[in-house]
Amino acid sequence: MRYRLKLIALPIVALLAVSAGFVYVHWSKGGTGAGLYSRHWSPDPVQGYWDPENFYQSTEIVEGIFEAELCVQCHEGITPGIVADWRASRHALNIDPVSCNDCHGSDHQQLRLPTPEVCGKCHGKQHGEFQDEARYGFPSHVLAMERALDAPHFADKPKAEVQSCVQCHSVATKCDSCHTRHRFDAAEARRPEACITCHSGPPHPDGETYFASAHGQLYRAEGSDWDWSKPLIKGNYKAPTCAYCHMDGGRHQVAHKSLWKFGLREINPHTSKNQVLRKRWIKLCSDCHEESKAAQWLTDLDQERKQAWKKLYKAEAVLKDLRSEELLRPAADERPPYPMGSLWQRERIGFFEGQASAFYNVSAIERDYFEMWYFENLGAYKSAAHGSMAGIKSGHDKMAASLDRIETKAKELRNLFEAEQKGEIAPAPSELWMKGAYTDYNRDHN
Amino acid sequence: MLWSVLNKMRSTIWMLGIFGLVVNPALSEETIAPGPFTDTECVSCHTSRDPELIRQWRQGPHAADPGSGCGSCHGDRHEDSNEKARKDQSCASCHEGPAGHSYSLSKHGVINHLNEDRQDWNQPLQRGKYRAPTCSYCHLHNGDHGNTMAPSHGPEVRQWICSGCHSPRYVREQFANGKRQLEIADLKVKEGEELIASAVDMQSGALTELKQRLIRHRRNVLFGVGHQSPDHQWWHGQPALDGDLIRIREAVSEFHRKAPLERPFSRSPGDN
Repeated sequence: MRYRLKLIALPIVALLAVSAGFVYVHWSKGGTGAGLYSRHWSPDPVQGYWDPENFYQSTEIVEGIFEAELCVQCHEGITPGIVADWRASRHALNIDPVSCNDCHGSDHQQLRLPTPEVCGKCHGKQHGEFQDEARYGFPSHVLAMERALDAPHFADKPKAEVQSCVQCHSVATKCDSCHTRHRFDAAEARRPEACITCHSGPPHPDGETYFASAHGQLYRAEGSDWDWSKPLIKGNYKAPTCAYCHMDGGRHQVAHKSLWKFGLREINPHTSKNQVLRKRWIKLCSDCHEESKAAQWLTDLDQERKQAWKKLYKAEAVLKDLRSEELLRPAADERPPYPMGSLWQRERIGFFEGQASAFYNVSAIERDYFEMWYFENLGAYKSAAHGSMAGIKSGHDKMAASLDRIETKAKELRNLFEAEQKGEIAPAPSELWMKGAYTDYNRDHN
Repeated sequence: MLWSVLNKMRSTIWMLGIFGLVVNPALSEETIAPGPFTDTECVSCHTSRDPELIRQWRQGPHAADPGSGCGSCHGDRHEDSNEKARKDQSCASCHEGPAGHSYSLSKHGVINHLNEDRQDWNQPLQRGKYRAPTCSYCHLHNGDHGNTMAPSHGPEVRQWICSGCHSPRYVREQFANGKRQLEIADLKVKEGEELIASAVDMQSGALTELKQRLIRHRRNVLFGVGHQSPDHQWWHGQPALDGDLIRIREAVSEFHRKAPLERPFSRSPGDN
């Protein structure tokens, strides 16, 4: 009897727990911000321009209903730059022109900033492909904004500061990240420079590594003479560009062949799923190269990744040992709560425990590891993937130096701790990490 | 037929031509003086022709720098001199580093680079004449040889320049956000400098270097905001400043931990 009761009770409890979870997530998204932590933040006024769907509100200064030439007549004087741009675009030159009000609406008090859905009304194929990218998970363009807003450190920092993040992550919420307004030129979006505003810098030096490669060098030398109106298919371009490889055939997805993805964690590159992706790469490279060569380059990349992860695991192990020996200073309870005042205070190390060591108020040795993993490792990875030999070497040299520094530092920390024990000195809990002009501001303004 | 008519009017055409040369100084200038000129020659002639331009230039930072005269941007001849100076390359040779890099990574820089061949560089630096703003479009707008983006020109000038393409509210909000981003960077610099100041006993070259890094990374935020490069605002800016604070704290806390350890062993009387 009791056994039977258990049998009935268990699924009921499970069902209640799951539905309570759903209700909680739904509730947590109902705040002034957006995403999982929406109840903990309100947007900076500028955020509406990066994420119009969630935050853009039209001004009500100008009253009236305007269409086509009426808009242009006024804006020719107010914002002549965008009118000139639009006049030179395919939208204006079309037999049936696409006018201002087609995208922005005609009621001047309820204007909208066009989202991908608005563009998708005409560009259905591209929008469909773009949305379909979600099935590859993150990283991808289509999920970029929601994942940025769901990151604890987005909620945790002042909203004016993290506008830098959403500028690039707005690739999910606006089409003009690549097709700049108001020309919306496909030819412009095909060129590698269209990507570098976001795809450059320490964690994703895509522009730097591509331009340093043979492909990039060829583009630099001759690219301005190529016909960029041609579609991204075999035979049309002398060297591949970002879009030629990552959006081959003009498919509006970048994750469709993505194997090592962002490079944040180690993968098994030979699972049956990844075999499919490998074949896609080999097929693409064989537009110009022999298949066997393409396969070899993929293997070379795997080897480079293996070497990188060997170093990273060593560094991570050093840090985890320090943590279990309670040698990391500041200790978890000496840091301002991060992320989002989680219930379990702990020094988070490495990708799977969150990115706590990314940004502030952690020990220097954790920051060293973060930079090794997020900057040096990813620099080496992008160099290997894009074919910059010098970049691979410099990335691995830097990682070796970081590993060395981390190991030396760990030894020093142990010696310091032993000396303190010997001298019977127990350092008082340090307030050092809890206070400061920015730290105080951050606590009050997130 | 046409030729015979022109032939009959030959003396009239000549008269008109000479009259034009006399009354139109610009035309006579192009014909008479192709160059090359030294910077001193440029200034002495243009002081009477364009007194306002020379005044603006004299008040700006370029006039104070003996290495950057007229010829640095315009070349030493009249031909193409405006076209040459309007292009970004004329600035890039001096303004390299984060100043140039942040602009060339920005959407403005990218659009301008990709459209350079299609742009008519004879156009004046005015609203609606350029697909994207160049260095000179913003900083020498309408040919103003003072820096039109300098705070001394006032926010209205910046507002006017940017709203040639963007809505007035957008421009206002972007500037306001940029100001807030900089204020945050300033708080980080302040936090770091206060930590360094609190460690007065500590003689360390490392702290001096960390202080310089704070200043450098704060500057990256400034260029990132001004030139709209998220990469400079963020990766070369804010998290880099966070990293500086971490390392300053580490140095200070380690100093405090080591101090009591060193005391018992230092200089007891029988040690010598």
